[in-house]
Amino acid sequence: MSLLRLRRASLSYPAGGGGSVEVLRDVSLTIRRGEFVTVLGRSGAGKTSLLNLAAGFVAPSSGAVEVDGRPVSGPGADRAVVFQNDALLPWLDAAENVAFPLRLKGVGRAARLERAARLFRLVGLEGHERKNLWELSGGQRQRLGIARAIAAEPEFLLMDEPLGALDAMTRDRMQELLLKVWRASGAGALLITHSVEEALFLGTRVVVMEPHPGRIGLEEPLDFSSRFLEGASARALKAEPAFIAARERLIAAIHVEETALS
Amino acid sequence: MTISATNPPEREASRPRGRAGGALSSAFLKRLPIFAALFTLTAIFGLWQIASARGWAPPVFLPSPERVWKAARTAMEVGYANATLGQHAAASLGRVMAALLATLLIAVPVGFVLALSPVGRGLLDPIIEFIRPLPPLAYLPLVIIWFGIGEGSKILVISVAMFAPIAISTAFGVGSASESQIRAARSFGASRIQTLRHVLLPAALPSILSGVRIALGAGWTTLVASELVAASRGLGYMIQSAAQFLVTDMVIVGILAISLFAFGFEILFRLVERFWSPWSRRR
Ligand SMILES: Nc1ncnc2c1ncn2[C@@H]1O[C@H](COP(=O)(O)OP(=O)(O)OP(=O)(O)O)[C@@H](O)[C@H]1O
Ligand SMILES: [Mg+2]
Repeated sequence: MSLLRLRRASLSYPAGGGGSVEVLRDVSLTIRRGEFVTVLGRSGAGKTSLLNLAAGFVAPSSGAVEVDGRPVSGPGADRAVVFQNDALLPWLDAAENVAFPLRLKGVGRAARLERAARLFRLVGLEGHERKNLWELSGGQRQRLGIARAIAAEPEFLLMDEPLGALDAMTRDRMQELLLKVWRASGAGALLITHSVEEALFLGTRVVVMEPHPGRIGLEEPLDFSSRFLEGASARALKAEPAFIAARERLIAAIHVEETALS
Repeated sequence: MTISATNPPEREASRPRGRAGGALSSAFLKRLPIFAALFTLTAIFGLWQIASARGWAPPVFLPSPERVWKAARTAMEVGYANATLGQHAAASLGRVMAALLATLLIAVPVGFVLALSPVGRGLLDPIIEFIRPLPPLAYLPLVIIWFGIGEGSKILVISVAMFAPIAISTAFGVGSASESQIRAARSFGASRIQTLRHVLLPAALPSILSGVRIALGAGWTTLVASELVAASRGLGYMIQSAAQFLVTDMVIVGILAISLFAFGFEILFRLVERFWSPWSRRR
């Protein structure tokens, strides 16, 4: 059982005048394989910084980031990242983009394209394999980005507002797709979002971050996503009193400081 | 799965299009610049023809198109200044291509260093900024003093002129890979070398190509200077030989040959760009 863990991790960036600004303080968070942790918080609360730590893009200034107890020393194929702007490679066609992690591992062209074809079916893009990126819509490109991360066969899937740039209708469908893909992959997921509904619907656990310095303010287990995967309808779930109550509670938690200020 | 509904049919319709009856006129409008260019060429040629026929300038200053054409045929068939036009052209082309290859081998890695290493940038920037604005005729004598009058010096002079454009556009191209593209690749397990090979280099390719285009322009410009001294073949050498004896028609033949090559390469590289990096114009 794989475990991605931040242990009292802090992160500071150098600031003007030789000082430094503390962006995260004493953040502790554990993500197991098969878990889906969603992260909410106001802009600047440190959500992306948290993901950067988990991905190994930056090192904690104190504390530790570990996978299965071993300290993380940089980015690695066990923790694949999906960005809001899909970060695809426009000089490759759709299939080669999805197969890109396999290419890095030295998988031959025929084999990797065959694996890619399976992922195209998984994200509902079959028939688009040989298209150029500029021939695809934003939602289709975002699905490619997700399929590509899955192709790396990661233990953990780290996603920074992967659906943030999509219109509401596409976004709802993509949430359902994301749950199915995540379940099929068996990976642990960390997903940052600005949408409280999205965090509630997708997460097996939700975390709310508070700013200045960024830290975890609230952490709650959730069961809406597992009920959806067991067959409940997404619309019915989102209309449940329990869902609405949780939503109001989280909105209040996110805005607690703003209210205190005003 | 039923999720593939966000699809491209609207794309067709959203392309800007003329209205009814606009098909013909829009095709015409699209080609208008080409017509205009053809008009300019015809006008210059016509003016040249008239000027020389009416004797507005003596033939030694302005030979007629017929005489230039005749000189071109002589140069091609009999030869001029020790060699045929083809041999002169081959010598010049060889120099420019050798210089381009040599420059690519050095300037592309330098471009990567400029883009990726602040220290490297600090070290190399003064050199590049020193070389960049220098006119070839200014450093030609020094190159000759240092390296003699052999073929190597000629190629070096052209290379120096090609260096800055390629290094700078490579650096620019490397910088065009986005932080998230690089980070995503790293998170799929790409090593630094793989990131270089699979993300930075392809991202830089369109810029490198336009750098090469600019460099070739600089190369042709420098060619004549490099053939000023102790050349026995080359278009620049041919032009200078002809100029010494006021064989103006042959001078013009040489000039036209160079411009034809330069233009040919420009077109070739645009085609290569379109073929190799169709994505670069889509962003
Ligand atoms: N490279 C950096 N150098 C200095 N400060 C930074 C850097 N990156 C982020 N910060 C600061 O850290 C804080 C948290 O930024 P972060 O990007 O993690 O927020 P976020 O929660 O992801 O915000 P958003 O919702 O707007 O994406 C912000 O105050 C930001 O200004
Ligand atoms: Mg962010």
